[in-house]
Amino acid sequence: MKTKYIQTIGVAITAIYGLFIVFLYAAEPRSLEEVTTKAKSAVESTVTKGQVLAGTYEIDQAKFGEGLAAFRADNFVLARDRFERADPEKRDANTQFYIAYSYYRQGWGRVSNDDSLFKAGLDSLQRLPAIAPDFVSKDPDLKIKTAAELRNEFEEGLKVTVDDFNPLRLVRERK
Amino acid sequence: MSELTKTKADLEDIESVDDSPVMDGSDMSSAAAETNSPRLLKLQDGSEQARERSRAVRLYLFLPIIFLTSALLGGLRLAAPDGAFVFVTPALLCLIFAVFMFALFIRGGMISIAGWFSDGAPTVQNVASGAVLLTAYAATAQVFNSLIPETGLPFWVVAFCFAWSLWNNLFADLDNKKLLRSMIALFAFAFAAKYIVLAGITAPAGEGGWLRSLIENPAKETMTWLLDLPRYTAGTGYIQFFCLALYFAGLYILPRSAR
Repeated sequence: MKTKYIQTIGVAITAIYGLFIVFLYAAEPRSLEEVTTKAKSAVESTVTKGQVLAGTYEIDQAKFGEGLAAFRADNFVLARDRFERADPEKRDANTQFYIAYSYYRQGWGRVSNDDSLFKAGLDSLQRLPAIAPDFVSKDPDLKIKTAAELRNEFEEGLKVTVDDFNPLRLVRERK
Repeated sequence: MSELTKTKADLEDIESVDDSPVMDGSDMSSAAAETNSPRLLKLQDGSEQARERSRAVRLYLFLPIIFLTSALLGGLRLAAPDGAFVFVTPALLCLIFAVFMFALFIRGGMISIAGWFSDGAPTVQNVASGAVLLTAYAATAQVFNSLIPETGLPFWVVAFCFAWSLWNNLFADLDNKKLLRSMIALFAFAFAAKYIVLAGITAPAGEGGWLRSLIENPAKETMTWLLDLPRYTAGTGYIQFFCLALYFAGLYILPRSAR
């Protein structure tokens, strides 16, 4: 083998080994088993980031479907988990809208709303205008169709007003 | 038969060289040229190529692996009591000390920059040489990371001692061997201070809470608290011993020049 090939192989091995060490120090696995797990998640994350850069990023439709089924069955914790897995890069407006909506439906109460869930919903809704400013949901089951309406619901739900003591509130419906 | 004749002829050629007084490479080449023996030239070329290959393998494959393994182990600790991996990234000070060490290597003649990089050399060789020196630098930084205590007063005391020694050495007239010996002594002392003395006064990780630990081990617990000593398992010392051993093995193999 020629010396220049040995040198090239040496540079390649050094680069690969060096990257592996950088990965270990960045991922900080606590055991040998964790090295595999973290390596797998790092590879997946790199692949999705590569897809975003290449413009070929798509959500995982199967997981989105599972999330939608859980959402319709009022199992909002499971729904959010599936939606987040379906869209790990948080770049799909529809999925992000469902995530925010799930906070609304879970936190909504006939007498009072769950403030912590409403705040979380408001936070998750912040991403939406950046992804799709004019987003309108096409789901006929959702009574709130846009991010602005949903934000208004969250903000109104978090405020304490005289209207909160109106007994007619007991007959209102969840959207 | 013809093969046998050929081998015989080769042997005769070699014997004729063996009988002659000891000659260096250039003498041999000129002798070969003078005797006009293409076989001897071929044999000589073959052995030189083999030597060049083995040197390249040692330099560009073996050495980076040694240094990178040392760099990997330098920041690895095993947390007590479960032995979980803890990867400690080097402090900025370790990187600065590594630069000082490299300055020492160059001043002491352990590394000749002109011998590693050259305008006349192929790009691949320059890149490969850079990679080798980069791994040596990473290993040096990680060895400091290994030897300097992580936090608290011991960190500053040991760092100050290192800074003092390195600064002193920068202005001393050290040759290659003396520098290596001085470094081994310095690092061995720091190793003993951290992994024998400080580890010896660190209280073991108790599972019954701090009050129980304080009752069972008052002196060690107080020292651990006062000096802010991290609790690692004994395995950490062994790992760092191998890290140091690998590092010095790498330095021993590291030639002054890549040529």
